[in-house]
Amino acid sequence: MNIGSIAMGAGFLLVLIGLWGILTRTHIIQIIVSFSVVDTGVHLIMVAAGYMHQRTAPIISEGLAASDAPSLVVDPLPQALVLTAIVIGLGVTALMLAFALRIHEKNDTLEIKNIERLRW
Amino acid sequence: MVAMFNPIYFVVAGLAAAFLLTLFHNRERLSYFIMIIALSLMMLISLAHLASFLAGTGEIVQVFTAGFAPPFSINFQMGPPEALLTAIVSLVGLLSGIYLSEQLRKTGAYAQAVYIVLVMGMNAMILTRDLFNLFVFLEIVSIATVGILFLSRSRTSVNTGFTYMVASGLISVVLLIGIVFAYMNAGSLNIDTLSESLVMAGRGGSIAVLLITLAFLLELKPFPANGWGIDLYTSAPGALSALISAGGMSATYYALAKVLPVGQWSHDSLVAAVGGITFIASQIIALKQDDSRRLLGYSSIGQIGLLLVVLGFSEALGDRRDFIAAGLLITHALSKSILFYISDMVQDDSLRGWAALRRKPVLLVLFGVAAFALIGFPPFPSFFAKWDLILLLNGGTEGYYLLSAMVLAGSLIEAVYLFRWFSYALKLPHEDLPELASPTSRLIAPVTAALVLAGASWYVSTLVSGFSQSFLIPVAFILLVAVIDRLPAWSKNVISIAGVSLYIADLYPRIAGDLMTMIFAGIFLVGAVLTLLSGFYYKGRRAGFYPMALTMFAGLAALIEAATILEFFWGWELMAIGSYFLLIRGKKSMPHGLSYLLFSIGGSYSILYGFSLAAAGAGGVIAMSSLVGISVMPALAYSLMLLGFLTKTASIGVHIWLPGAHGEAVADIHFMASAILLKAGVFGLITVLLAMGSEAGYTRWILLALGWIGVLSALLGNISAAFQESAKRLLAWSSIGQLGYIVWGLASMSHLGWLIALGYSVTHFLYKGILFLAIGGIALKIGTPYMYKMGGLIKRMPYSFFAVLIAIITLSGVPPLVGFSAKWITYNLIISEQLYYQGFVILIAGIIAFLYLFRMIYTVFLGQLKDNLRSVGEISIWFRIPMYLLLIVILVLSFLPNTLLRPIGDMLSGIFPEEAIVWTGSRGVTSLGYFDGAMIMYVIVGIFVILTILFLLLRKQTQKVKQFNIFYSGEAPSRPELSHFSYNFFAHYRKAVGALALPLVTGFWDRVTEIIHAVSDFIRRIYTGNGQTYLFHIVLYVVVVFLVQSGGYR
Amino acid sequence: MSWTLRILYALLTLFIVMNVGLLLNGVTRKIYARVNRRVGIRFYQPYIDLVKNYSLTNLVTHGVMFYLGPIFRLTSGVGLILFIPLIYGSQGFSNFSFSGDAVLILYFLFFGTLGMALGSGESGQPHSAIGVARGLAQVTAAEIPLVLSFLSVFIQYQSLSITEIVGAQQSGILQWTFFTNPLAGVTALLAFLGSMMRSPFDVVLAPQEIPIGPPTEYHGAFLGVLQTNRAIFPVAKTILYVNLFFGGAASWPALIPKAFLLYMWSVVVGTVFPRYRVDQSIRWFLKVPLALGLLSIVCIHFC
Repeated sequence: MNIGSIAMGAGFLLVLIGLWGILTRTHIIQIIVSFSVVDTGVHLIMVAAGYMHQRTAPIISEGLAASDAPSLVVDPLPQALVLTAIVIGLGVTALMLAFALRIHEKNDTLEIKNIERLRW
Repeated sequence: MVAMFNPIYFVVAGLAAAFLLTLFHNRERLSYFIMIIALSLMMLISLAHLASFLAGTGEIVQVFTAGFAPPFSINFQMGPPEALLTAIVSLVGLLSGIYLSEQLRKTGAYAQAVYIVLVMGMNAMILTRDLFNLFVFLEIVSIATVGILFLSRSRTSVNTGFTYMVASGLISVVLLIGIVFAYMNAGSLNIDTLSESLVMAGRGGSIAVLLITLAFLLELKPFPANGWGIDLYTSAPGALSALISAGGMSATYYALAKVLPVGQWSHDSLVAAVGGITFIASQIIALKQDDSRRLLGYSSIGQIGLLLVVLGFSEALGDRRDFIAAGLLITHALSKSILFYISDMVQDDSLRGWAALRRKPVLLVLFGVAAFALIGFPPFPSFFAKWDLILLLNGGTEGYYLLSAMVLAGSLIEAVYLFRWFSYALKLPHEDLPELASPTSRLIAPVTAALVLAGASWYVSTLVSGFSQSFLIPVAFILLVAVIDRLPAWSKNVISIAGVSLYIADLYPRIAGDLMTMIFAGIFLVGAVLTLLSGFYYKGRRAGFYPMALTMFAGLAALIEAATILEFFWGWELMAIGSYFLLIRGKKSMPHGLSYLLFSIGGSYSILYGFSLAAAGAGGVIAMSSLVGISVMPALAYSLMLLGFLTKTASIGVHIWLPGAHGEAVADIHFMASAILLKAGVFGLITVLLAMGSEAGYTRWILLALGWIGVLSALLGNISAAFQESAKRLLAWSSIGQLGYIVWGLASMSHLGWLIALGYSVTHFLYKGILFLAIGGIALKIGTPYMYKMGGLIKRMPYSFFAVLIAIITLSGVPPLVGFSAKWITYNLIISEQLYYQGFVILIAGIIAFLYLFRMIYTVFLGQLKDNLRSVGEISIWFRIPMYLLLIVILVLSFLPNTLLRPIGDMLSGIFPEEAIVWTGSRGVTSLGYFDGAMIMYVIVGIFVILTILFLLLRKQTQKVKQFNIFYSGEAPSRPELSHFSYNFFAHYRKAVGALALPLVTGFWDRVTEIIHAVSDFIRRIYTGNGQTYLFHIVLYVVVVFLVQSGGYR
Repeated sequence: MSWTLRILYALLTLFIVMNVGLLLNGVTRKIYARVNRRVGIRFYQPYIDLVKNYSLTNLVTHGVMFYLGPIFRLTSGVGLILFIPLIYGSQGFSNFSFSGDAVLILYFLFFGTLGMALGSGESGQPHSAIGVARGLAQVTAAEIPLVLSFLSVFIQYQSLSITEIVGAQQSGILQWTFFTNPLAGVTALLAFLGSMMRSPFDVVLAPQEIPIGPPTEYHGAFLGVLQTNRAIFPVAKTILYVNLFFGGAASWPALIPKAFLLYMWSVVVGTVFPRYRVDQSIRWFLKVPLALGLLSIVCIHFC
């Protein structure tokens, strides 16, 4: 079992923990935290997907000539993707927190059960 | 030239404008101006590409970023579908931007920036060919959506926005994992490369595709994991909902369409199943909905469900898939936008609140356009799309018969709630409702959308094979009349009559010689002229009447002219629209107009299904001749078609719409609806029966059933007519009975039977025309249709009385008038075709007709004249002119029945070559009996004249006495009401056979309605309003679908 | 045959039938009276009534339709007798039966009813309208056995022509339809009761409740016309039944006794049975007569 699989497994575990949190916590801040956990899990999965055993970081430097790079470094793309994903995740989390603030302002509560609902 | 409009400018313009806006955030006017410029630029780009594709000069444009070719870079593709979809998105984006001007300016530049980014994101989702890029833009779209909600600051939208965010976040997780696994398997994120990649055929690749598919499906809000999305529609401003429904849905739908072909294991069936369930469930749930926005939300989701079905059946639909999807999508996007805009202007969110639209007729018109477009009526693109969809689903090597039936059932339910809502807007009181928030600036968006929809309708109709453009000419004429709707009624009347006359002059040489067509063309079009002629009675504008009357006649004319079943269906649907608007004009017509329309739609779907089977049997050929000798489930196909046409002849079982709809209609409309419109059903029946023939084994049972339906319609229609208090309802029931004779005659599939049917078609038109005009004119004149409020009118309206007298003698079949010939042929038919049992009932039904005929003429014209009617004058001369024209024809035909029956008989000999009536002059002889119309007339008139002369010679002193001078126990009755015997006229008859007139059929349909509504109320309970529940739905949905779908890989 | 001769035959026919009718009316009233243990009228009383009514000087009218009502009624009676071939084999006494077959007669029966109903309606007399409503309601039910039995006969002979039907019954009493198609015959006899305006189906006129129903307002010469018709019309109907079910007749002496006996059938029943209400009579016709009629059709169809 290499570190790639461990990371992948850990990523899925985090996703599941986060999901559990989202579905069972009723406090909105806790839901947001759980969502962040899910997000982190996904990021971990992405990085793990790009990982190749016994290769180095995809940075062209003195010890790594550009010509040798394809055979020596891990796949750089998932790492680039994960950066984007983190940025998006940050934006989403920030907006969620802003919503939390406003929900508290409008409803005087942060319990998801207690805020006004639209139904059927 | 098109090169100028590089698709990358979508992103450039969007981001640049958003950036600029943050700089000018304190310059209110300038910032809004920048936003509009950016949005217009996007629309310009897409329109330029769309135009070049439509002109046939367009080429697919590929844009590569970073100077590499894919898969090493992100690429945008602008092909025909992208051009169309970005055009829709940009258009709705711009329109909503204009609509929201006030709100956006108030909220400030940041909101405007978010709005631009939202539109940009949707466009980019359509253009990009890179999976990860797709994810990024999807995220941008959902963040921007909730961002605007956030800025709108209303409580419900904030609460909803949060759930929406978490839900779309969860979906992103699924998408992201799918993308990563796709990349792991194929080493590429480019959709085109992925599609070709063999690695994707592996198990891992397939699961990756499944996850991606699932994510996009969830974004499209499938039932039941869609509570979070519906809440958004309910709480967002209408114009934003328009953008989300029209733009966001289109973008996501196309994204799904792009990724679906990736991988070897097709997820088509998954998409189709999800779509089908969503379509049906959303429509059912919407039935119980009373909040207009939420209703629109359900309807939007339902439409997307239908589009998913189209996508899932790509294989069966072949190269027509894109046409169907585009037709449905365009219609959905534009008409839903219109409805969402209007929902924003209406201050009362309940469906009944939309009655406020009557203060602004243009909005009412737009509502109507949107509703009819959504249901797939002509001339909208969805009409052709739905036609193709049903034909292809049923027409492939393996027919998806159940599916197509479900699609039609779902559409029918959609029609129920949309038109119920529409009729609220048309008819409910609106005095107490809040004002409309509809400044002129807000009308720009919906009006433009409607105009674009009209343009699209025209363009789409040019793409359809088997549909002649000449059918659009009447539509253009109708639009012209609609434009001049502000003019007084008489001028529109003149123009309409001129139009119809021109049409007749043009049509006549084409159909001369084809008697069958001539008969119905005569009923439809000469009838049109006569009814329009009576329309001169109206003083004022009569807003909206003429376009709709002409729509109905255009539909009827199209039936005559149709060379393909598509054209026939076009005419049929056009007629339904026109007649619906005519019938709902009455004061209390709301429920009746609705039930008419729903039975019409139900019937037309039944016809459509039958047609699709016919086309399937003919290998996709849709000429009228494809109805002959259907090879795919012929018994079902013919039965469905017949059933569909029976809804229009209002035969028993599907008749419940007629008494109300006709009973509440105004005089000349009643004439159109009954004497003319019902014959369209007869024409349809004839068309089908001619095609079906009576050779095949199954036809025996179909014809037997049809015959009994006709017989029972005649019997129960006539009995019920006798029990009516309203003269108009009496005539309406009488129509059911009369049409029963016709149906029965046709079902006999014999020379004499068809002679009866065609003869009745003509004579019913004549005498019912008189009766409707006379009775309708009287009801109009004295303000009530109730017969017990009339009486003694012979003194005030002698001309009407005489016309009615002739009409009822004709109807009753008493010699010497022309009605007798029908009775005589009936006896011949019964005996020669051995139709003893049906025939016996028909004969009794004919005698029962005396009950209501006498009741009508007596209680209206005879008996005691009421005090309030002593000074009432004759009915309008414009009613009497057509009445007397019809009367003359009746008298001529009575003297010479052979002038009508002989040519029809000669024509029928071509169809039923058996020996029938042999004519020598006016004397007709069959193998059984004989009659001589002219001779009977001479003898009877002779006796009558001689006796009258003798009596006059005998006369001594004739004393004319006053009304109250009657034998009345020595008293003079002081009040005419007391001695006018009219209310509950046949009480004893009701006591004896009233059980036959119990509203059992109405009860049955009520029960059906009740059950479906109960189901609706049950299903919608899953939307508890708790955000967490909705999240749980999503998670559960993913797990269940994943398990079900991946079960197939083992 | 020349038109003059035709018209002469027509007048002769009318003269005979009217006298037969008036005498039958007189005799019938005598029988009623005797059954009720009264002395009763003289048998020629109808002639006296007729003369009296025609010679009254005054004529009260309520309007044109009212005026024409009785004429419509009489036209119907006269027309009916002229459309029926009375004497088998006699071209003269077939009158105008070449204009139409049995169907013409069946529907022409309603001509007078309708005209009369309309005429009396104009008077504004509620009793007239009530009488008409009753009559119409009852006739729809009484027509059920009538249509069934006639249909049965038409099917049996595969003809609608009365002359042909009579011709087929000429070879002996056992060839009468009544014996060759007894179910239809019995049904027809029941239907006959319903059309003769006698008890138990005389609620239309019901003198005790609604003076005399439809003709309430008619008097003087109007009533005279109606009485003339009342002499002709039942005889015409009876002759129709005789033709269809009892072998017709080749001469007047053969016709009149048959018609008389058949007529008496309704008189006998009428004197014995009390009156039905409308709903009762409708239900009555929907029971045994309907069943018998259907049975006769089924027999003709399958036997």
